[in-house]
Amino acid sequence: MAGPVRQALAAAALAFAALNAAPLLAQASAEIPRTQSGKPDFSGIWQTLSEADYDLEPHAGRRDAPPGPGVVDGGRIPYLPEALAQRQKYFETREKDDPRLKCWVLGVPRSVYYPAPFQIFQRDRDLTLVHQLGHQVRTIHTNETLHPVELEEPYYLGDSRGHWEGDTLVVDVANFNEETWLDRSGNYHSDELHVVERWSFVDKDTISYQATVEDPKVFSAPWTVNVLLNRRRDKNFQLIEDYCFTLPYDQYYPHKEGE
Amino acid sequence: MTMGRISLMACLLVAGSWTGPAMAQAPSSSAAPSPAAAPGGAARPAGGGIGYSKEVPVIASGEWTGARLPDGQPDVQGHWSNTIANHNNFTDPQGGSPGEPSRASSLPRDQRAPSRVSDPADGQIPYLPAARALQQDFAAHFADPVKSHYIEPLARCAPGGVPKSFYWHGYEIRQYPGYVLLLFNSGTRIIHLDDTPHLSPSVKLWNGDSRGHWEGNTLVVDVRNNNGKALFGRTGDFMSENATVQERYIFDSDGKRYNYVATFTDPTVYSRPWTATIPARRYTEADTTNGWHYEAEVANQPPGRPLLHERPERICVENNGPFGGGAVGVPLEGAIIAR
Repeated sequence: MAGPVRQALAAAALAFAALNAAPLLAQASAEIPRTQSGKPDFSGIWQTLSEADYDLEPHAGRRDAPPGPGVVDGGRIPYLPEALAQRQKYFETREKDDPRLKCWVLGVPRSVYYPAPFQIFQRDRDLTLVHQLGHQVRTIHTNETLHPVELEEPYYLGDSRGHWEGDTLVVDVANFNEETWLDRSGNYHSDELHVVERWSFVDKDTISYQATVEDPKVFSAPWTVNVLLNRRRDKNFQLIEDYCFTLPYDQYYPHKEGE
Repeated sequence: MTMGRISLMACLLVAGSWTGPAMAQAPSSSAAPSPAAAPGGAARPAGGGIGYSKEVPVIASGEWTGARLPDGQPDVQGHWSNTIANHNNFTDPQGGSPGEPSRASSLPRDQRAPSRVSDPADGQIPYLPAARALQQDFAAHFADPVKSHYIEPLARCAPGGVPKSFYWHGYEIRQYPGYVLLLFNSGTRIIHLDDTPHLSPSVKLWNGDSRGHWEGNTLVVDVRNNNGKALFGRTGDFMSENATVQERYIFDSDGKRYNYVATFTDPTVYSRPWTATIPARRYTEADTTNGWHYEAEVANQPPGRPLLHERPERICVENNGPFGGGAVGVPLEGAIIAR
């Protein structure tokens, strides 16, 4: 094909693409799954491909972590000086002190970017997140209810109240205890943790998950994590319970001899 | 370990909430097993004593005439709990734990709730002799757990499993196209309402693997992949990892009651299949919340909204206290997994 003709075609294609960009976006937005009431329908089994749980910050590969470019906007987490020292201590003792090693509960936002699947069940009034690891069930209320005024005990997973801003689910998560970490590398938080999550579809099989984290006892400023969540589409894939906290004693049952 | 201390506190709270039922059911029991300062545990649950009923209503399988969800499922969403007793005793539900008999246990048998075993007619699980011996050995040591395997696994926060989850604390049913979700105090069950195959038989799980479908007012669920570890309660009744369970959740169309009717088949443990019947009732905003059957919280709402109850986070952590003397706990330190 002659040069000028090809250039003209290329220009036409560009113009066509520009003209059609908005309709294409609208089409993509129409193609995401929606509930009967028209909200984006996040029902399904999701899992990150990111290295976020190994270390939220940029890191080279090491014995216990594959390399990762980092998922924190701006690269570093803005620790207060004393908190940074604590984080460094936790980094040194991470192979025994990471609460994930107990297999109970990972907290928020870590449960979302931990590299294990979780399933979202969605109704108009709420979304239920059932995580495969441990016994972690989080309800995100979307019925205009508010955080509790007082709790008998703060929550491992926080108290989640969501609302829709267009096709984005915005979730305010508060009332945390301080028993969980943010990743395997010792990044941590206090009981003043406050998280704002933004969930939105990139396409029907990919969710953009953003969490803005603030904690005045630990961080000098709010900071933000961005990861993608991918729909698990393996044939017949399903969650398989992983109550791994039972491993120290499950050999005793049913009715087996033990110490 | 940062988790240990707080976790133990949480565990005491959980322990308190489970001693509640024991006290509520057997207020005169001479052997209330652990600290009586149980949040919500002192008062008998609301509901006119239905949390400690002697009666098992008859609910026939048949048509569902109640409300339906948009996908056609009978709408049975909400909070439920059993109406008889907790897991103290499987076949004499109001008789008390082994070694810790309730006052009611001295009454004639027909003045207590019947056995959960509805078939055979004698109310006993038709164990093979070796299995019966294992169950009796557990019961004999329940109050004196000199070895780890005499500790009822729920006391360690293990999932309640099938069927114990249905007579432990109250629980919530949520429904979705293709699924029924059971949210228990200890553990979660996802019941698939489709034709996807069960997991490989080599995968054994505390809650098994569930496939179900609706037949009129009855949710029929095939439970396989059981690991048999959860036990049925403090009497040590059990199934093995070879068991299959067919569950029938038979709902009254008025939406207030249902019977859980489950048939257990396990030729390695039982001489024949047998059936358990566990009656349950619904709890709503008309009921007072409590620490056993209805552990809901009042939702914080903008002014002017009607009362709304919601389920708080349920996480049982490092709850290692057995009953009776000779406590044999689980080490609190060290990594449990290497992944």
